[in-house]
Amino acid sequence: MNMFYIIDAEILGIIALTLRLTFLSTTIAAIIGIPLGLWLDYANFTGKNILVVVNRTLMASPPVVVGLVVYLILMRQGPLGFLGLLFTFEAMVIAQVLLITPIVCGIVYTASQRNSENIRMFAFTMGANKIQTQILLVKELSNEIFFAVITGFGRAMSEVGAIMIVGGNIRHHTRTMTTTISLLRNRGEIDQAVYLGAILMIIAFIVQMAGDFLRRRERRADENF
Amino acid sequence: MKISKIKKNFDRFSLYIEELDIAENGIYGIIGSNGCGKSTTMKIMAGLMKPDSGHVDYKNLSQQDITMVFRKPFLMRDTVIQNLIYPLTLRKIKPNTDVVNYYLEIAGLQELRNQYAPGLSGGEQQKLALIRAMIFSPKMIFIDEAFSNLDLESVSFFESLILARQQSEPIMYVICSHQPSHIKRLCDHVFFMDKGRIEAEGSATEMLANHKNMLPLSYPVVF
Repeated sequence: MNMFYIIDAEILGIIALTLRLTFLSTTIAAIIGIPLGLWLDYANFTGKNILVVVNRTLMASPPVVVGLVVYLILMRQGPLGFLGLLFTFEAMVIAQVLLITPIVCGIVYTASQRNSENIRMFAFTMGANKIQTQILLVKELSNEIFFAVITGFGRAMSEVGAIMIVGGNIRHHTRTMTTTISLLRNRGEIDQAVYLGAILMIIAFIVQMAGDFLRRRERRADENF
Repeated sequence: MKISKIKKNFDRFSLYIEELDIAENGIYGIIGSNGCGKSTTMKIMAGLMKPDSGHVDYKNLSQQDITMVFRKPFLMRDTVIQNLIYPLTLRKIKPNTDVVNYYLEIAGLQELRNQYAPGLSGGEQQKLALIRAMIFSPKMIFIDEAFSNLDLESVSFFESLILARQQSEPIMYVICSHQPSHIKRLCDHVFFMDKGRIEAEGSATEMLANHKNMLPLSYPVVF
């Protein structure tokens, strides 16, 4: 097995598309999921518990099911078929966002539920208004929010089922690293698949390391636990 | 501030305050054994908790004028200095370096100003919480058993700081404690609570002298 393949233009294109898809869908999921998680903790309304349970269910939803739902919505005869988004980059982003948003929302909700009472109480006693309280809450929960986003990022990067269905794995168009690996495996080109898998793992590792570097708490020299 | 006919029911406890009036600047104490309703009363007064019924009249006080120091202080994941100036930042007030240094100095936190605040010792955290509550010159400060876990030196610091501040810039303090010694040294007027009710009120000396019999047998009155 020859593990030393040249990274050609096609591979670079696939890597670029994968990163673009992952970053974009994670960003959108964070923009929706973080406020939603905070709101879910703060708000009191009938059916809140059901919404929390639904979100938890969606956190574990199988990607192929999400892919199928998005496919049915975007297919020509579907309700949004007129948009012509099926088998496009945008369709893959939609599927990824649907998969990741509940994860980000769920982790942020749990963290907020655990800590927000003290933070809100403190903000209130300091005379903070609602916006200042929210800013403080996000700042104080930044580690947990970061964890939520990085978990979503990991899920997005490793996802294959949903984007395969809605993206179609079209060469030079919607082919990502994971869908390529899947295709190569089907073709029996295992060494090439392993090679791409290794690149994927290295990219994921670098991104996680970069994130960890920004958030790391230094272990004190005298710590003995 | 005046609260009247306040009711608050919990599963195993109910609070009822017929009337509690804090009319003038001064140091007011709420004393009583654990679970008698001191903290709940304070939270209702500070606007942190809604009563089931009754009325809280803040008169000319706004939420911005009231603050509270908790038994377990909340410190932001930031430096000592950022925690200290946080209420000023919220009010878009540029911190006066002399004032900031004064507070850090008296609390013994000058050397620790750039340290991570949650990493401070318990006493240091409590001191920081108190000077943070004072730095923006509120009109009313609630102190909820903030002396409970402190050493004698820190307690002395708190008492001296409050009394000194009260000399120069009198405001309303409401201090809740189950230690009569703090109350006696600090407070002008004391409310004695038992089982969710205010059983008596008066000057600290009178109250602690005349109402010892109201305290549970296990409740030591040490001056």
